[in-house]
This record gives sequence, structure tokens and C-alpha cells, in this order.
Amino acid sequence: MKRERIILGLLAVLVLAACGTTSTSGGGGNSYAGKTIKLGAILSITGAGGVYGPQSRDGMNLAVNEINKAGGVNGAMISLTVNDDASDKAQSARLAQTMIEQDQDLALLGPTLSNSAVGVHPLAESLKTPILAVSTTGIHIVPDCNFPDTTPCKYVFRDSLGEETAIPDNIKSYVEDKHPSTGVLLVAQDDKFSSDGGTIVQNTVGQYGITLLATIKFSKTEADLSPYVTQAVQKKPDVIFITSLGGIPAKIMTEARKQGWTGQFLGGNGFNTATVSKQAGADGKGARSASAWYIGNTFTSNAAFVSAYRAAYSKDPDQFAAQGYTGIKILADAAKRANLTFSDLAGDRDKLRAAMETVNIDTPLGPFQFTSDHDVKQTVWVIAMDGQGGFTLVHEIKAS
Amino acid sequence: MGQQVLNAIFIGSIYALFAVGYTLVFGVLDILNLAHSAVFMLGAAVTYSLVVNYNQSFVVAAVLGIAACAFMGLVIEYVCLRPLRRRRAPPIAALISTIGLALIIVAAVEQGRPGSFFAWLWVDGANSVRFPPNMLPNPTWHVAGLTLEATKVAVVPITLALMLVLGYVIRFTQFGRGLRAVAENPRAASLMGLDVDRMIALTVVLSSALGGVAGILFGLALSDISPYIGRDSLEIRGLAVIVLGGMGSVPGAVVGGYLLGLIEVLALVQFGSNVHAGVAFAALFLMLVLRPQGLFGAQLHERL
Amino acid sequence: MDFILQLFNDPVAFYQTHTLLIAEIGINSILAVSMFVVLYSGQLSLAAPGFMAIGAYTSVLMGNYWNTPLPLNLLVGTLFAGVVGLAVGLPVLRVRGVFLAIATIGFIEALSLGVILNLPITGEGLGLKNPTADPIGGINIVLGSVAVIVFVLWRLTKGRLGRAWEAIRQDELAALSQGIDVGRYKLIAFILSALIAGFAGGLESHLNFFVDPTEYGVTRTVQVLTFAVLGGSGNVFGPVVGALFLTTLPEIVRVPNFDYRDVISGAILILVIVFRPQGIVGRGGLAIIRPRWWPKARSAASPG
Repeated sequence: MKRERIILGLLAVLVLAACGTTSTSGGGGNSYAGKTIKLGAILSITGAGGVYGPQSRDGMNLAVNEINKAGGVNGAMISLTVNDDASDKAQSARLAQTMIEQDQDLALLGPTLSNSAVGVHPLAESLKTPILAVSTTGIHIVPDCNFPDTTPCKYVFRDSLGEETAIPDNIKSYVEDKHPSTGVLLVAQDDKFSSDGGTIVQNTVGQYGITLLATIKFSKTEADLSPYVTQAVQKKPDVIFITSLGGIPAKIMTEARKQGWTGQFLGGNGFNTATVSKQAGADGKGARSASAWYIGNTFTSNAAFVSAYRAAYSKDPDQFAAQGYTGIKILADAAKRANLTFSDLAGDRDKLRAAMETVNIDTPLGPFQFTSDHDVKQTVWVIAMDGQGGFTLVHEIKAS
Repeated sequence: MGQQVLNAIFIGSIYALFAVGYTLVFGVLDILNLAHSAVFMLGAAVTYSLVVNYNQSFVVAAVLGIAACAFMGLVIEYVCLRPLRRRRAPPIAALISTIGLALIIVAAVEQGRPGSFFAWLWVDGANSVRFPPNMLPNPTWHVAGLTLEATKVAVVPITLALMLVLGYVIRFTQFGRGLRAVAENPRAASLMGLDVDRMIALTVVLSSALGGVAGILFGLALSDISPYIGRDSLEIRGLAVIVLGGMGSVPGAVVGGYLLGLIEVLALVQFGSNVHAGVAFAALFLMLVLRPQGLFGAQLHERL
Repeated sequence: MDFILQLFNDPVAFYQTHTLLIAEIGINSILAVSMFVVLYSGQLSLAAPGFMAIGAYTSVLMGNYWNTPLPLNLLVGTLFAGVVGLAVGLPVLRVRGVFLAIATIGFIEALSLGVILNLPITGEGLGLKNPTADPIGGINIVLGSVAVIVFVLWRLTKGRLGRAWEAIRQDELAALSQGIDVGRYKLIAFILSALIAGFAGGLESHLNFFVDPTEYGVTRTVQVLTFAVLGGSGNVFGPVVGALFLTTLPEIVRVPNFDYRDVISGAILILVIVFRPQGIVGRGGLAIIRPRWWPKARSAASPG
């Protein structure tokens, strides 16, 4: 009897050992075989942010499918749940809590809008869960998510190029070309993204020799922007700065051209989607902005990303898709190196956070690393609308 | 300054067209139809989709767009309003049901994306789009330092013509007389043999069709069509207009529309863009405190 | 959906992981009660978000600049809202019905667009950050406040104030002729509503890290109105039920990868108000109309 038991026991051990080694583990030592890496994304699929959320989602899903098909992360499959916050701050914050505490996601991505991030990021920080912003470009996102408290937030990261880099780069690039001397700023005053952009413009123009003749504020819900454009155009500036989102930049451009103004439009991330270029049409031709991504960029991972995206969704990716895709890649890489236990959620989240800080991978955004502030360090693409729904490349500004 | 006055006249026409729909329904039913702004948007959205996704000419698309809005008026009446009238619900309940319908309409357009359930209606999701640039001839003239753009200029006579026709219908046709009777006293009207339900339905349909026209003109002249164009600022401005002009008064809505446009633009020039919207609303508040019946509203019961 | 399952299977865990949701229900309940007070006294005032804004900004500014403790901040915010309530309530005393609604909309928009967005101290468009916010811990204060406020209002409505309000609501002229000081009671209701809304605003800012100037406009007021009407404004519990229902609705209807939540929400809104126009908690049964073919015998057993 005893001998049979010993043999059975040995067999059991052998079987278990065999099971343990049949999974293909990519990263050598730590195998996550049979486990699931739970990620959650809070995106704006409905509401005003619905212009960006769906693309982020598509980019993320593409990355998740690619990774899972190739065997997952050390054998663990990624499970991504995307939840819609309806562009509403309160829903965004509620979702964050539910996903962190009830769903027990390892890490979060999002939210789409800077407005929502103001509430969500401090919450994630206080609940010690890593959160990666994939489309918020306002100020005080990283590292000071608890502004005016300047203690850096440990768990908040961002892969979306901030306006405080993009706008100055854009202005600098144009000034080097054309030497303008006067400008007018049109800014939506009831939107954090627009206001932030406006503030950055105001703080930057002085150092490039541009005098801001007027700052014209309006409400983002205004039906007709003509009176504001009239005010701007009457000042005869060389440049009109537009830092708003959604349909506003195109409307302003169209109206300004109709009123006979022929100067240069300069803007922020609000210009960077194909829909805005299409809506502006010929009136937007030549309007410049700085983008985190350009469809024709020659980074190693980009071509494969673009063709995979086109194959999956029958349309071109945009900056938001690229940043969403990159976000998943970043988290996957960090997870691979983090030695996750899958039994101690708090400990795993902290290990993930630490691993994220040392990420260094190839992405469609280029070679990607976080700065010590958990911010983005990457090439900046100055692009101009081509008048036909697309963009042409003006300058490539490499990360310093 | 001259240019700003032109801006005011244009936007005043849009406000007027939009507000007339509100005031018609309020005059007859004592109800604020908050689905009106969604219908306004629907007119623009449907017309755009027909032109761009179904390759129709603008004229055909516009007619169909207006028809779609008229149909939506029927939906409003049969789904939101009539059931509540039958149950003798307080008017405020109708406010809520029209809010519900507005939510559905906006969401349907917002979720119109390739591959979604609503893709037949709209494929641009939450984005803002414009009519194809060369769909209609749209010359711009520069005269005496002012910019005159054909589509914006055309909105004014179209609005005035529609208002004149509407005025004629209300004053001189049998339908118009029936409408005024129902507005005055529905019970008496029904005792006199009028089919009150039918009058109401026709009113809502007419109001919605007008809303649709306003939406199409808006989308055309401002190069902006999105699921949110009605909701954002037009809705409250519509309310402001009917208050200024007098609830239930069609000429009041027209005058009120232009008046609000002028007030806004003057406030902009005088006080700067930061505060001008606040000034307009403060003016509204004062108007209500000092002369609640508006400019044209007579005391309480006289309506159209 | 699994959200409901968790509620029944494990209430304690549900409470802990959904503190933000529960807190939001609490805040919305307080807001709904604020709306209830004015509706119960026959005033269709939509000014609640304006007073919320005053409460929120005052409370956060005090905390940020003077480091005063939360209870003091809330108190001052509430009182300030009450003072403004007096300033606004007095002139609008003789504005009735839907005109009052629009006047109060004028007030909140003027406050939002004209004042808040242009006063540097409020951070203008950027809003205010509130570093001392405590979203998880704040729930205790919220739930406690809800209980106290609901209880107090309930007692008030049962007493002399409540009877006066009810009389005014039924027929203002008749109440006046009965010797009730209509003006005084209406003003009391208005100020009380302002105080409660101001308190809710201050409390809400304690739960979010951010005071957002765009949250106090017409959209908010329509939302609060919907709580009260859908819940039924016959007694103080109706609006609380309305707030509970409408706040949880987006979560109940939340299904991953299903983007049509608003369509469903709109449909539910219409259905609820059409079948129960008096509100969920209103008196009277399910208001189903008997269609012609429904045999008479059955109607005796119709739901009631």
C-alpha cells in the first residue's frame, strides 16, 4: 500500500512539474502561465470626449489582441475592460473606484479628458493603483496630480505628449520659419484643456517675440463664433492661436477665412485629428500644431501598427489610437518584468509601478521612456493641415 | 462694428426660427418641448447624411430632412405628450418625457458610427462635420469693409418669408383659427367640434418642421453639424427669446430672436467676450422681474 | 448589472467599493430635497445649481486660503448661499410659473458665465483644486446630512410651514385671501432651498478634488428637476427616491461594450413618467389607460 502511494505521489509531482513547464514563457524565469492580467480603461465613448475615446479604445484592443495571440505576457493573457464615463467627471471617478476596489484591476488607463483626470488621478494615487493617461495633455497631470500640492504622484503616468511641450515647440518652429510679430488668442474658457493651452500660449509667446494683442474668451457651447472671430480679425494679427477642442477650431478657421483674414493658425492637440482637418477643409490649409504622432513616421514599430490597425478597423489610426496602443504595450512590458505574484494585489500594483518607471521599448510613438516626472520624452512632429482632411509633415523635433 | 451687427442679424434669424417652434407649442399646450433642440439637430444631421452618405442633392436631402423632423413631431406628440394628456398629468411631466426623448435622439446620433446600430442615420459619431464645400454656390462679397457671405445673408429672407407665411396661416386660415381656439380654451374648442388632438398634433409637427429648417440653415451657414448643436447653447437661448418676446407669441419670438442677437453682440462689443453671455442672461433675469409677459405677450391668456 | 448582484450578495463589500456612488446618491438626494422645497411651495425655481456653486466655491476658497476646518467652511458657504438666495428670491416673488423657471435659469447662467468664469479668485475656466477632498471618508458626513435634512424637512412639511406651502401651491390667490402671508412663506421656501443647495455644493466639493465651473448650468438644473419630478414631489421622500433611481440608472444599464446607455436611459425616463406622471412615490396607482377592448370587469382589479 505504502509503495503504491509513494509511486502515485511521485507521479503527481511529475505531472505537476510537466504542467508547469509546458507553457511557453517569454521572459525566462517568471512564468505567469494560466493567469490573467486584469487591466481597466476609463474612456469617454459618449459625450464630448466621444471624439477621442473610441480611437483610444481601438488602439488598446489592437494591442491586447496582438499580445494575447503571441502568447500573452509570460503566458498570462491580458483582459482589458473598457468602461465609458460619458465625459462626466463624477462617473469617471466612480468608475475608477469600482475598477480598483471591486474589479480589482491591476492597473488603469485613462480617463480621456483632462477635466475628468483631475478627479480620477488623485483617487488612483490615494488607492495606490498605477494609472496611465493616454490622452490627457493638460498641465498638472504629472507629476503634480494633487496640485497645488507639489509632492509628486507615484502612481500616475502619462504617454500623451503634454501641451506644455507641444505648444512651445509649435510656436518655436513657426517663428523660425516666418518671424511673426503679433497674435490673438482665442480660447474656450469653460474647458480645462482649452484654458491650459491658452495659459501656455500666453506664457510662451513673449520669449519668441510675438505680442499678444488680445485674448478672446468664449464659452465652448456657443452656437456661433462669428462675433469673436470678428473681434480677432479686426485686430489684424499675424497669427491666430486656437487652443480648443471638438468642432471649435474648424469653425473659427472657416469664419476667419470668410472674413478675409489670411494669416497663420497655430494650435495645440485640438488640431490633431483627421476629423478636424476634414471639417476645416480648405480653410484650414496650413494650420499648424505639434503632434505626438504622425502616420508617416519611420519608427520601427509604426508601419506594422498602421497596417494592423487598417486591417482591423478599415480606417487610419490617429494620435489617440497610437497612444492607446502604446499604453497597453507599456503596461505589458512592465508587467513582464515586475515579477507579479497574482496573489498580493497591493504588492503587485506597487511592483508594476516600479517596473513602469524603467520601461524602454519601441512603440509607434518612437523609442519610449518615461522621464523622472513620469512624463513623456519623445520626438515631436510639427504638422500642418493639408486642406483635404489630412496632414503634411513640417518639422521633426527630436527629444533632447 | 458693422460686421458685428451683421453677425447679430444672422444669429438673430436662427434664434427666431428656433424659438418660433418653442412658442407655438407653448402657446397651444402650455408645455415647453425640450425635445425641440434635438429635432433641430436631427434636421441638420439627417440632411448631412443624405448628402454625404446617400449621395442626394442638397434640395432633396433638405426636403427629406424636414420631413424627418415633421415625423419626429408626430413621435413627440404620440409618445411624450398625448399619453400624459390622457392621464391628466401636470404639464411638468411633459417636460420630463420630452427630455427623455431628446436624450434618445442625441444618443442615437452620437452613437452613429460605422458598424453601429445607428450607422444608417449618421456615421460621424460625436464629431463635428460640415457640408461638402462646393455643395451650394456660396460667394463671399466684401463691401464697404464688411464681409457678406451668401448663405448667411440668405438666412434672413428665408426666415422672414417663413414667418410671414406662418403669420398668414395663423391669422387667416381655418387651421390657424382652430389653433388659436385651442390655445385659448381647449375644452370650449372641443365642444365647438374641433378635433383638439388633431390640432395639437399638427402644431407639434409644424413646430418640429420649423425646428428642422432652422437646424439645416444653421449647419449650412456655420459649417458645423454635430450631435450637440441644439443642446449646447441654442436651447437656453431659445427660452430666453420666447421670454423676451412673450410666450406664445409668434411675432414676439421673431422680434425676440433679433433682439437677443443684438443684445449679445452689443454686450460683446461693450463689455468684452468674457462677460457678455453673463450680461445677456442678467438682462433676461431683469426682464422677467420687471415685465414678465415679455414685449408682445399680453396678460396671461391671449396667445397667438 | 453585476452591480446589483453584488448588492444583494455582499452588502458590506458593496458599500466599501461603491462609496463614491453612494456619496453621489447622497448629494443628489440633498439637491433633490432643495428642489422639493420650492416645488412644494408652488415655485418652479431652477436656481439650485447657482447656490451650489456659491457653497462650493466659498467652502473651498476658505479651506485653501485660510486653512479653516471643514465644518466652518460648509457653514459659511451655506450661509452665503442663503444670503444670495434672499437677494434673488425677493425680486422674483411675483414672477410666476414657467417665467420663474426661466428667470432662475437666467440667474444661474449669469452667475456661471458672467461671474464665476471671470473672477480670478475662482480660477476662472480652470476651476479650483481642493486638495483636502476626501472622497472615501466623506461619505459619513454625506449620509448623516441626508438623514438630518430629510428628517427636518419632513417635520416641517407636517407642520404649519408645510400647510401654508401646500395652500400656496394649490392656489396662491385663495391662500392670500385666507390671510396667509404668501410672500413671506414663499421667500422662506426659496431661502431654505438656497441653503440646502449651498450645503450640497460645499459637500460635493469635499468629495471631488476639483470645483468645475461648468457643472452649475442648465444641464445640472434639468437633472435636479428630473430627480424631483420623477420621484414625485408630493412629499419629501419622492425626490430622494428619484435621485436614487436616476443616479444609479447609468450603472444599472452599464454593460461593457454596449454604447447605447443613453438611449435606454431616455426610454426608461419616458416610460416611468408616462406610466406614473405623479412620480414614483406620488399618490395614486400605476396610471394605465384602459384601451377600448379591455373588458370592463377586469378594470375593477386594475393595479392601484
